[in-house]
Amino acid sequence: MSYYLATRESIVNWIKELALENQVYFPQKHGKVSYRFTQVGSDSDIQFACYVPTVVPPIKLLIPARDELLQFKKNSEGKCEVSAPLDTSFRIIAGVRPCDLKGIFLMDLFFRDGVSDAYYLTRRENTAIIAYSCVSACAPGAFCAAVDSLHHTEGADIFITPRAGEDLLIETKTELGKKLAAGTDWQRCHENAVRNEAASTPKPRQFGRTFPVAVPEITKIVAGKYQSPVWEKHVVRCFSCGTCNLVCPTCYCFDVTDDLNLDVASGNRTRTWDGCMLCQFAMVAGGHNFRNEPAARQRHRVNRKFVYLPEKYGQGAVCVGCGRCGRQCTTHIDIYDIVSDLIKEGGADDVTL
Amino acid sequence: MTSHYNALARDAFVPQTGRIVEVADMTAKDRYFRLELEKPLGHHPGQFVMASLLGIGEAPISISCGPRKDNVLEVVIRQIGRVTRVIHTLKPGDELGIRGPYGSGFDLESFYGKDVVFVAGGLGLAPLRSLITPIVAGAKRFRQLTLISGCRNPAEELFRDQLKEWANAGVNVIRLVDGTENMPWEFGVGLVTDPIPNLKIYPENTVVALCGPPVMYKFVIAALSAKKVSYDNIYVDLERRMKCGVGKCGHCQINHVYCCQEGPVFRFSNLADLPEALR
Repeated sequence: MSYYLATRESIVNWIKELALENQVYFPQKHGKVSYRFTQVGSDSDIQFACYVPTVVPPIKLLIPARDELLQFKKNSEGKCEVSAPLDTSFRIIAGVRPCDLKGIFLMDLFFRDGVSDAYYLTRRENTAIIAYSCVSACAPGAFCAAVDSLHHTEGADIFITPRAGEDLLIETKTELGKKLAAGTDWQRCHENAVRNEAASTPKPRQFGRTFPVAVPEITKIVAGKYQSPVWEKHVVRCFSCGTCNLVCPTCYCFDVTDDLNLDVASGNRTRTWDGCMLCQFAMVAGGHNFRNEPAARQRHRVNRKFVYLPEKYGQGAVCVGCGRCGRQCTTHIDIYDIVSDLIKEGGADDVTL
Repeated sequence: MTSHYNALARDAFVPQTGRIVEVADMTAKDRYFRLELEKPLGHHPGQFVMASLLGIGEAPISISCGPRKDNVLEVVIRQIGRVTRVIHTLKPGDELGIRGPYGSGFDLESFYGKDVVFVAGGLGLAPLRSLITPIVAGAKRFRQLTLISGCRNPAEELFRDQLKEWANAGVNVIRLVDGTENMPWEFGVGLVTDPIPNLKIYPENTVVALCGPPVMYKFVIAALSAKKVSYDNIYVDLERRMKCGVGKCGHCQINHVYCCQEGPVFRFSNLADLPEALR
């Protein structure tokens, strides 16, 4: 691990230089208000400071909307040849904020667990992440500090922290990070100096929205609220459109569909984004739906973020507090409001079959 | 590393080829398929496979045969969706892709030395057959065997010949229909719960395996509870939407549990903290 100091300008130039030879993605303005992780070109406007969360989180570069699992082709003898294509191309995702970095860190765990997901892990191992620390809340909807993702640094190859002065602090955290930083004229600095300084890096006392209780307590509360009226309160506005799933940095459920080419002899099996808020998500052939009511689906979604996956993986909340689901929701249903209401309600109900 | 991942991806999602050697209609919409695979499946009773037609899609299908050392796989497939409609057009000699086996299945050893009661509703007999077959074959290891098989009407009954065979082998086979609907029927009329009160059940020495439509479970379990059978000795086989079979796609989740990994067979006592299980 090495530390450097560099000016904003020098870092931006370095990223543009990396983009000459690599696929580099950086959050760039798209239209008037929204940001997207877009590939950096020579004329890209790269700014670390002004930022609102991108519409879609950077993790989606590793789990694209359409991800081919299999390709198949009938040969001349009528036999089907099947291959499982893996994307081994190298990419750099820069300007990743701590909330999204926590999201990627969690996804690494999910996709490594049990039967390792070759498609995700191949992309992940060919991806460098350059993260950037936040000094102020990016948008009114953010509640990253409340779910312990504001200070997340694990999973980054290079971590950049703005300082009170001119220079930014750069930490290379992996061998790949070191390699990317090689050849720069950044000024090397000492670890101890950095530690002292990190403590004094100015951050607002209240960073974004907060919860009155800590994450382990939230898990306990949400787990005990299986029959709460809160599940009905917000969901009356829900269209079950699944936007909250699609923009979430820790949603990874997928559907699998087959596409047959026009030659009727070749095609592919592809996984596509799916979402547990969609009506048919838990429906089986014949029409029985195990989560027919929108409230049951919302309860499942919130439980996955605050109870089921946190208890399974032991890494705290799986909601990273980016605020995307609330911001993108047509009717402003916000997971922060749902959880706040559950906390406010107090007590716990009995879970009975 | 890439070659390792190539192998992982192939293992996870590339189906092996199953050649269909026998097709038989069981009911108007349920068809029996006997397949020869490239290699033995090595499954436990109660596990399932993903049946796969490249270009059409995949569907989770319960295994209908007991564990076996050869390459044979038996399944009963109901024509009910997009994929199964096409599978129903397949004939002997055609190929059907198979991935798996998946899921936990029944713990056969926990049935040793016990009275065993099987309760099957409709198509539920197909997966239960993977358990009944090895138990009937090794009947000495078990005590009294009872099978309650119920379906809507006489035309919807599965494995009629096999039901007779099992009865001849000493199994107390109780065949029921909800109604005869004017079809010939020499057995009982009623629900699968009806015979339970009259069964001689020694609760501490009885294991029950259930498979059927979701609505059946609560009533059967209530009837078994009245006979003092503990939840620990009741196995239920659950159905869920499944897309991957490897605990990733999320569709089969029952609260925090991935049904394709920890299920689809559960001890009923293990469903206590899963309120979504029997919805």
